[in-house]
Amino acid sequence: MSTTPAQTIPPPSIVVIDDDPAMRLSCRKVLDKSGYRVETFEDGAGGLEGVERLKPDLIIVDLKMPGISGLEVITRVLETDPAAVIVVITGYATIDTAVEAMKAGAYDFLPKPFSPDELRIIVQRGLERRRLMIEARRQELERELLRRRFVTFVSHQLQTPLAAVHQYLNVLRRLEDDSEGAARRREWYERCLQRVEEMLALIRNWLTLSAIEGQCLAQQRIPVDLNPIIASVFEECRPLADPDGIRLEARPAPEGCLCLGDPVCLRVLLENLVSNAIKYNRPGGRVEVAVRPVNGELELTVSDSGLGIPKQFQPFLFDEFFRVRQPGAAGKPGAGLGLAIVKRIVAELGGRIEVSSEPGQGSTFRVRLPAVSPAGSASGSPPARPHDKQLPSP
Amino acid sequence: MASKTTILIIDDDDDFRAAVRALLESRGFAVFEAANGQEGLARLAQCRPDLILLDVMMECPSEGYGVNQAIKWRDEYRDFRHIPIVMVSSIQESPDQLFPMAAELDMIRPDFYVTKPLDIPAFLATLEKALESAHHHRSQPG
Repeated sequence: MSTTPAQTIPPPSIVVIDDDPAMRLSCRKVLDKSGYRVETFEDGAGGLEGVERLKPDLIIVDLKMPGISGLEVITRVLETDPAAVIVVITGYATIDTAVEAMKAGAYDFLPKPFSPDELRIIVQRGLERRRLMIEARRQELERELLRRRFVTFVSHQLQTPLAAVHQYLNVLRRLEDDSEGAARRREWYERCLQRVEEMLALIRNWLTLSAIEGQCLAQQRIPVDLNPIIASVFEECRPLADPDGIRLEARPAPEGCLCLGDPVCLRVLLENLVSNAIKYNRPGGRVEVAVRPVNGELELTVSDSGLGIPKQFQPFLFDEFFRVRQPGAAGKPGAGLGLAIVKRIVAELGGRIEVSSEPGQGSTFRVRLPAVSPAGSASGSPPARPHDKQLPSP
Repeated sequence: MASKTTILIIDDDDDFRAAVRALLESRGFAVFEAANGQEGLARLAQCRPDLILLDVMMECPSEGYGVNQAIKWRDEYRDFRHIPIVMVSSIQESPDQLFPMAAELDMIRPDFYVTKPLDIPAFLATLEKALESAHHHRSQPG
């Protein structure tokens, strides 16, 4: 690692506060040579003002000065910038004063007399400390911002459908009861039902996500045959696919290819991938689900012949509440939780997922899952274990 | 014969627009709709509304504020600057809470602010007040 300042980033700045002119001069010489920007001040008052103005990365302060003492400088500086890094120079090298300064929040101390190397080392350490503190604070702020945004977003997602339903009912109550009103009433009841169902689905998904996070789901690790799950998910999704003439095709795993996981979760995973593949397909399109052993793992692929996902959206695909905005996807119901759930499940089961997609051609989601037996040969797996367990109901 | 008072609803929720449209039409207003901020801005010239009902969170979390700022401050929309804007959101957060650090808060502060779902009598009263203020504002010289 090198502390040599890069051209674009200004060099770290250091403020030295010491009433001894010789000390100020020698500090400046040593630190100038190392490429830092150095400003020196001869007393506490000037030093505090300098710190306020320059916002230095590091402050070196003498403890024993006339006027405002070094200790007071430390306290005042930390009041305005808790991430300030202050190194104390102490002339009378008694451990007591140094300890007092450290208690007040100084980062380290340097007893007089000290060598240029000692100064350089302590300054380097102090600057590193400063960098870490700033980074930590930045991350904290970012997390806080994300959390706030997230809460706002979730409450918006939950309130929007409720507000729409409430609005319908409230307006209905005030409209004339003529024939036009009756027709409108029927239409709006249907819309209300649909919005409520969407909201129920959202809450269900949200609970699934929390359950995975709280490790209430995906607890089992048992051999699971994906083939019957695929068949059953196809059965369940057919009403979604049939109206648009979308074909559902399976290329099942070879006999006895089992993955190690939680059957409930694997079903949720497949449901989400398959229903997405149908939802974002084109009329007359197809969805293909294939399972095959690859390098001791099981590869599950779900491909569609649908809209595809533009490149710029792909990195965000698995984020909670993210939805691709493109013509053709607008108006499809959903809150953007399906793939977030998929990602969590895959992670929980110790697998990984990737997507490849070509706009206008379709998308392929490729999931790698742990297999039960290390597949030495693709066909010669041991006889199938009994896996006739019923899926526990969620 | 005075023409109907026209209201432009800019909101991404189809159902919310449908309900509010029916309500407003039953009260004798003419209603235009736009499903996002951009469409809303594009429709201004065509429908020349007397009032704009503007949702806050559309495709982007604070899209409504962007639209509000565009209408009130951008030169290309100066003909529509006088139109009162009633912001609508399901989030009970005022702009001061949403943007605690925005120095230009006054640039985005809406004329009027109501929350979803609309309390109908209060909402109608706000509309009346907004329309009145615009009328008053326009009849002043300058």
